[in-house]
Amino acid sequence: MVAVAPPRSGHRPASPATLAELERLTDRLSRKPAAHLQVESLSIGYSTLRGRFHAVEDISFEVPAGTNLGLVGESGCGKSTVVKTLMGLQPESTEVSGRALLDGRNILGLDENALRDFRWKRISLITQSAMNSLDPVYCIGDQISEAILAHEPVSKATAWARAEQMFALVGLPAGRLYEFPHMFSGGMRQRAVIAMALALNAGLLLADEPTTALDPIMQSQIMTRIRGIHAHMRCSMILVTHDIAVVAETCENIVVMYAGKVAESGPTADVLERPLHPYTMGLKNAFPRLPIRGEPRQPLISIPGVVPNLLLPPPGCRFASRCPFATEVCHSVTPPVVQVGVQRAACHHTDRAAEFRLAAARPDTWRNMRGAA
Amino acid sequence: MRAYIIRRLAQSVLVVWAVTTIMFFMFRVMPADPTAILLERGLTDEARQALLEQWGLTGSLWDQYVAYLANLLTGDFGSSFLYRKPVWEVLTPLIINTLWIAVPGLLLGAALGAAIGTAVGWAKRGGKLERSGIFLATIIRGVPNFVIGIALLTIFSSTLGWFPGFGMGDPGETTGFARYMTLDFLHHLALPLIAVIIYFMPENLLLMRSGVVENRTEDYIELVRAKGVPQRRVAWHAARNSMLPLITWLFPALAETIAGIVVIEIVFSWPGVGRELVLAVTRQDYPVAQAAFFLLAVMIVIANLAADLVYGKLDPRVVYK
Repeated sequence: MVAVAPPRSGHRPASPATLAELERLTDRLSRKPAAHLQVESLSIGYSTLRGRFHAVEDISFEVPAGTNLGLVGESGCGKSTVVKTLMGLQPESTEVSGRALLDGRNILGLDENALRDFRWKRISLITQSAMNSLDPVYCIGDQISEAILAHEPVSKATAWARAEQMFALVGLPAGRLYEFPHMFSGGMRQRAVIAMALALNAGLLLADEPTTALDPIMQSQIMTRIRGIHAHMRCSMILVTHDIAVVAETCENIVVMYAGKVAESGPTADVLERPLHPYTMGLKNAFPRLPIRGEPRQPLISIPGVVPNLLLPPPGCRFASRCPFATEVCHSVTPPVVQVGVQRAACHHTDRAAEFRLAAARPDTWRNMRGAA
Repeated sequence: MRAYIIRRLAQSVLVVWAVTTIMFFMFRVMPADPTAILLERGLTDEARQALLEQWGLTGSLWDQYVAYLANLLTGDFGSSFLYRKPVWEVLTPLIINTLWIAVPGLLLGAALGAAIGTAVGWAKRGGKLERSGIFLATIIRGVPNFVIGIALLTIFSSTLGWFPGFGMGDPGETTGFARYMTLDFLHHLALPLIAVIIYFMPENLLLMRSGVVENRTEDYIELVRAKGVPQRRVAWHAARNSMLPLITWLFPALAETIAGIVVIEIVFSWPGVGRELVLAVTRQDYPVAQAAFFLLAVMIVIANLAADLVYGKLDPRVVYK
């Protein structure tokens, strides 16, 4: 461990004026309401040398103010693309259609100046790879202050004092604000990025796989912290992850994405209790559970095959080639979105979901697929 | 940090000593007679011998070398054969003249190159600014610097007549520093200074551009954009990180550029130390040539040391051991 750096020479404790300004700032920020986000038929397409394709196609979901939405799916299914597009960070040539209403105002297709109006003020981001997300030549405190100063008319000292508050919130000593990213461990960097995301109490927090780069113990610590902060700040959040267990613990609602489309969505408890889509069933089985004494060991079942090439998407259901229950219609007709109770699923056979759930729990159901696929 | 500087200084002294030694023997193995330039004045054999003795060119090479080093340690570079004056007296005004075009030229060249390079690197890929920026920089980079000088002379001196094309003007009555504070001097300074800037800028520009292009797709730039700071500020983050490779290149490159300034001094007949260096070599004025090379070596060694120290200031990850 690196020793805690002494405060930079010339640094004095905050003056009374700074403290008064900080209190006004904190008060102002704490009165920001949680944001409401409504995404309507969002499609995101890229033009490549081998043709155009849709990384995300016609997805819709809602994040009611103050709630937590889990966006899950395997790598390459378009989760991060959605997050980047909401922030306006997609590459220039990207074609975006649909709407994303943030507190009723569409935030898609804005120019850089209009984007600045809500970035970090209303939506902030916890990035996927905190290892590379911090500028290596500025100390952490400067990088957090930069975000505050860009949006709030406060002095540099006040911005720094606010950064100290945020560091306390994520459990880092204030003295380390003077340190540079390379002096932090991976977990500390992730916490610094979280502190930065919280600095302006944005109404909506986008957490893009915030724990992927960390070891399991750090992962659970960071997730516990994010949950605590979320409860404390009462903001809305979208949590992107491929860890279904994290979503089960953290999020009220879940959206399961597959190959750029929504496979299933609804309240997390219902979706994980009674999945309607075979992909959700497979995803649920593919997570390890510790054996419970006296009960049979739960086998770990993986879904055979890979996500289809989106340049040439297969006709019909995109999951059909990997689905053990696929029938003729699945390979030819795009499945409609079916509402069952509070859940929605894009599957032709939602009426047989109960039967599928039993079969999906048996490893040989998926194993027999492997030959066919 | 202090131990590091002391070690580097010791190494620097070694390098300078090596250069001095090589220079000393190189001039003396050249098959030439330094008294030749004086021969036409009807030099007798005895007088010639007396001159050689006075210049310290008699005795064994080893004795000459030891005497030279001993003098050097006391700051004595000897006397110019041609001017019959101590080398310091000959070189000091010339060094000042060279600094007038070298220091502002290199600083402005590096600063302008870095600024334009950032703009070009941050511009839309494949856009007009990027394409014309790279095109111009590459063209200028490819042109020999005497061509730049001659082109400037042709256009601004011969054709338009805006600037004088020769020397640094008439000193008139003024002496000392006041000599450089005249409009006439600045008028003469303009063209060679512009030539140095144009000569030094393109490589800075291209290096900075490639750094910015590389950095703009980094994750941390994305986060800076997400923070909602002005575009200019985002570009600054990319530029700030691109300065690191630029600095690594910049200081050692100064040495090469100083060689380029010699050419520019000759094209513009600028009475600088570079021009004198070339003349001294052709005249076999050993003390002047050796002193000039000695100064060059010292400057290059200092530039390299400065590069390492500045790098440590710019990049917090660098640790001196």
